[in-house]
Amino acid sequence: MKYERALIAVAIVVFILVLSYAVTLGAMGSTLPPRDLRLLAKLYLWLAINPWTRNLTVMSPEAVTSIVWDFRGLDTFFETAVLYLAIIGTVAIYRGVYASSKSREGPISEDEVGMSPIAKSVTKITLPIVIAVAVAIALHGHLTPGGGFQGGSTAAVILLLVLVVFSLQYSIRMGITKGSTLALRSAGLLGIAVTSILVLILGLLVGCQSFIFQNQPKAYAPVGVPAFLDGMLVSGTLILFNIFECLAVAAGLTLTFILVLTHEEEIRSVMKGDRHE
Amino acid sequence: MEVLVLTLMAVVALLSTVATYLAITERDLLTAVIYSALQSTAYAIIFYLLMAPDIVLVYIPVAVGLYPAVFIVLIKKSERYEGG
Repeated sequence: MKYERALIAVAIVVFILVLSYAVTLGAMGSTLPPRDLRLLAKLYLWLAINPWTRNLTVMSPEAVTSIVWDFRGLDTFFETAVLYLAIIGTVAIYRGVYASSKSREGPISEDEVGMSPIAKSVTKITLPIVIAVAVAIALHGHLTPGGGFQGGSTAAVILLLVLVVFSLQYSIRMGITKGSTLALRSAGLLGIAVTSILVLILGLLVGCQSFIFQNQPKAYAPVGVPAFLDGMLVSGTLILFNIFECLAVAAGLTLTFILVLTHEEEIRSVMKGDRHE
Repeated sequence: MEVLVLTLMAVVALLSTVATYLAITERDLLTAVIYSALQSTAYAIIFYLLMAPDIVLVYIPVAVGLYPAVFIVLIKKSERYEGG
């Protein structure tokens, strides 16, 4: 046993030394990141915001967001679909378990359940701060690093803290239920779906050519979502995608945590068939 | 400046390797989750030094907040100590 652990430690050290030697010899390029940009990267940087090439630009100074939601928007759509299939899987496994507080009638006071008053006070103070940061990350997604997924997962962390600190029972009474989070998540997903075909519908109504995931007007498809709203740069569909993605991610992750935090007894009683929905 | 960044990255990468090794060998799973979060923090610093702020913003809530939370809930529902 002792020799085994020593062997593992030596193997790790040798692996790190070999890897760093290979990197020193130039296995990953001589500088990190490489100084010469490839043609595709040059085009992305040139076209992310370029008011003089209105036919090709995204009108967003954030190159990452313009790649994620415009240049390769369809890829991101399917990435989002994979995440939501995983959440749908969780909901399907826990079907019938409605995480209700029906086991106890009457009002529950805040002091009865959950953690200590110190933890509750700290959570109450940090809740609006973290939600504000999450919303700022999502709404500035087309201007600064960040976006819908980043904002949504930040909001999900504080909602998880609320679920744990104030207890699941109390949170359900306050309206953080399976039904409400599922509805919010579906609203977010519907928003993403509608935004992805928004310009297509617009083009059909006007009677000109247009395509899915179109943002700004193109040479042969002269319709698009305005890049400026009242003099403010909103980058067309990017801000809509970020808002809906933030909503869907925050609600979807909170839904998973509500289901995972449900008491075993409740799940067992549903599995045995004592209770039906 | 570049030497400083590369040195910092090397130190943090080394720290993450140690944390990973401790997370795998630790018998107390709750401590293993904390080692794993330490390794994730090291990765977040590396992503930041590699000039990927978008990845950092998604990596911190997921790897330091949500992922340990899932594991702590699972440990609570199963066993805290690894058998053997």
